[in-house]
Amino acid sequence: MNRSDAPMPPALVSPWQRLRAASNRLTTRSASPVLLAGLAGLVALFLAVPVVYIFLRAVGADAEAWQRLLQVRLWKLLGNTLLLMLAVTGGALVIGASMAWLTERSDLPGRKYFRWMFALPLAIPAYIGGIVHLALLRPRGGMLPRLLENLLGQPVYTPSPLGFWGAAFILILFTFPYVYLLSGAAFRSQHASLEEAARMLGYRPLRTFFSVTLPAMRPGLLAGALLVALDILAEYGTVALLRYETFSSAIFVQLSGRYDRSAAAVLSGVLVGLAVIILWAELHSQGQARFTQMESSWRPAPIVRLGKWRIPALLVAAGVTFTSLLVPVGVLTTWSIQAVLDPETLRSVLHSGSMGFSNFAWNSLWTSFLAALLAITLSVPVALFSVRHPSRVSRLIARVCQVGYAIPGVVIALSLVLLVNRALPFLYATPLIVVIAYVLRHVPQAVRASEAALNQVSATLEEAARVSGRTAVQAFVQVTFPLILPGLLAGGALVFLTSLKELPATLLLRPAGFDTLAVRVWVWANDGFYVQAAPAALLLVLISAVPLSFLLRREQIFK
Amino acid sequence: MIALDVRHLSKRFHSGQYPAVNNVSFSMQQGEILVLVGPSGCGKTTTLRLIAGLERPDSGEIYLDGQVAASREVFLPPEQRGIGMVFQDHALFPHLNVYDNIAFGLRGRPSVEIRQTVHELLDMVGLEPLVKRFPHALSGGERQRVALARALAPHPVLVLMDEPFSSLDTDLRLEMREQVRSLLKAMNASVVFVTHDQEEALYMGDRLAVFQQGQLEQLGTPEQVFQNSATRFVAEFMGNSAFLSGEVIPGGIRTEVGLVSQPVDLPTGSRVELAVRVDDLDFYPDPTGNAVIVERIFRGVQNVYRLRLDSGLTLQAFKEHITMLPVGQRIQAKLNPGHPLNVFLTSH
Repeated sequence: MNRSDAPMPPALVSPWQRLRAASNRLTTRSASPVLLAGLAGLVALFLAVPVVYIFLRAVGADAEAWQRLLQVRLWKLLGNTLLLMLAVTGGALVIGASMAWLTERSDLPGRKYFRWMFALPLAIPAYIGGIVHLALLRPRGGMLPRLLENLLGQPVYTPSPLGFWGAAFILILFTFPYVYLLSGAAFRSQHASLEEAARMLGYRPLRTFFSVTLPAMRPGLLAGALLVALDILAEYGTVALLRYETFSSAIFVQLSGRYDRSAAAVLSGVLVGLAVIILWAELHSQGQARFTQMESSWRPAPIVRLGKWRIPALLVAAGVTFTSLLVPVGVLTTWSIQAVLDPETLRSVLHSGSMGFSNFAWNSLWTSFLAALLAITLSVPVALFSVRHPSRVSRLIARVCQVGYAIPGVVIALSLVLLVNRALPFLYATPLIVVIAYVLRHVPQAVRASEAALNQVSATLEEAARVSGRTAVQAFVQVTFPLILPGLLAGGALVFLTSLKELPATLLLRPAGFDTLAVRVWVWANDGFYVQAAPAALLLVLISAVPLSFLLRREQIFK
Repeated sequence: MIALDVRHLSKRFHSGQYPAVNNVSFSMQQGEILVLVGPSGCGKTTTLRLIAGLERPDSGEIYLDGQVAASREVFLPPEQRGIGMVFQDHALFPHLNVYDNIAFGLRGRPSVEIRQTVHELLDMVGLEPLVKRFPHALSGGERQRVALARALAPHPVLVLMDEPFSSLDTDLRLEMREQVRSLLKAMNASVVFVTHDQEEALYMGDRLAVFQQGQLEQLGTPEQVFQNSATRFVAEFMGNSAFLSGEVIPGGIRTEVGLVSQPVDLPTGSRVELAVRVDDLDFYPDPTGNAVIVERIFRGVQNVYRLRLDSGLTLQAFKEHITMLPVGQRIQAKLNPGHPLNVFLTSH
């Protein structure tokens, strides 16, 4: 046979041929991938500018600022932040995974309801949970110590929610649902045959669990843990409230109080560096997250009978739900009723300065809604480019678009303050800058949702539309878009939900007098007016519950 | 009339070791069914996608109905080629019902005409009662027929079918094969049909184009390709031939299982290989024979025996199902083809 046309060694391929091959790759399949690539590139650029800028500022900060920080502050902050991150991630993993096992793999009574109860704390911003628990447990004047003192006639020691342990406790309570949802999905998607195979090979149930079941869901657990870790790096409200100093709260103080921007930039640079490492690990773990696959022969793994452990398990599950959901919602409701019943408090709830209650609510709604709309719009070209035209370039762009996860709200605020002052001064002190901050931070969620939606739609559908006489744009509008719309809405709901809860960027960037629900709750609670803050907090939680339950209902299990 | 003319078509992918399609040329008549067949990765699907306009060729030309569709200067996008395509996964639009799926390619025509065309096709594929159903509520065979109806509805100059039956189970596949072929013939459609299944290729095709490693190895009628294989690969792929070495002698070829008398266009003494299929070899028990039975495979209507020759080569031969010979039995094997065998000069 004629083998003279054996593959050319790569060195013999001229640059010109390579260029032609590259342009061929870009121009096949769809009529306008160059346009698409350009759009996706612009989105990535928009998202990358604030991070790059902060890095440059940090590196370019004068040596003195570095010296001053390196001497003591930086190491202490680094230690504090890492310690809290590890503690919360570990706690959330233990609670999240064990609750997931109870609802998905055991005969826990009422597990259908517990699924909702374990997911719903996501509607409660951690700082609002912190406010409630602080009011309850505060060492002096807290509701619980006072109650105990009245009952027993003498002061009783109760654990304080302030400091490291308090912050860790509160943050575990309100971040474990991430792990719960991801590991729950991993438990559900596991093949029954996986454990059956281990049993047939002579493994006892407990050994099977630790050597097969748990390792098989490692990607799900890891993804949940890394999300929690990123969340803790970005957390401001809770640590500030409970007086535990981390990078985020230190940057906030530098920015709002001392107004030392170069120190803030140095701290931000280190913080973002830390977050980028975790984000990199998270993106890496995503690539391998497909151990478990739903196949046609899939059977759910059998339910484990708890037997005599039923009651203790039920008590633990109820305890988790009690502290993370029932207490915050119950206390907020009680306070809200008190606020409404007391005419004076009601007046200050409804009017603060020239702004009314409905103004805060409206501001929260429109900024979050606009952010969701923009984030989804920006995510579509990126997702289309990376899913339909996989190449090194499109992968890089998709990666860059994930960077928002690694920029805490305080850093976004700092970066935008500096950038906007220089480049776009007319934006400064308008609510739009708040919206931009939300978009920068939450586009990654939108990109992931759009990519997931697009991956569900086979490319052959678009090709079928093309051979049926549609242009690339028509094929997108008539076939792809209607099919990915539910996925896009889910991404939008997620961005809306997280924007609604966003606190530090809003506090630092809002124009004077521009209050959202989150801001009002924070300001009032910091002044000690808990009852006055309660209606706004409760409303925030209730509004957040709407997109959250929409997201949960997309999962078969939450029907 | 020539429905499709492909000239010197080549396409290399970035990741590919060798070109996916390498200088392929063929043409086909109006009303003909041309089957592109070959193992996976041989370039048959890429060729189909190049014809559809879903990939852009590196070089070469494609003419549809005499009009240029792709060349160095021209590249018609798929929507301007007027081609119908049936995809491997059917690619039915999940948000549209059966009617709207079939009508999708008819956009812009008068609504009376659309309704009439859709119902004609529904009638033809026998899906009239399911017109309001959505794709997820259809069985595999029904989806298959909707996909075919959608591709045929705009009366395309050419229909492309990319392994359309591969997602169906065996019984249904055989049934659909017959239905689809008679339907396509009744409509006098010009079809390029891609499959990796040689039996399906022999059944469906008016002509077969056998591909390997991006190259067209042979183009011909099913009978030509099967009985007169142009290359060793074609003989091996079509009909699972084994290869027996031999030497050309005057008037035939000498092999270890006897002489084959057939005219050979090669000088005496050439080393050659003969393509031997299960029906070409006969054998009978003989304690002093030249081979031994190593395995008996019961296929229902026949027994297929694997025979190891003394040279170590293993060949297959069949006997009717009532003839049961034990493994280990010594036998005498001899070639008994009753027709000229495919002969290839031994390379190296």
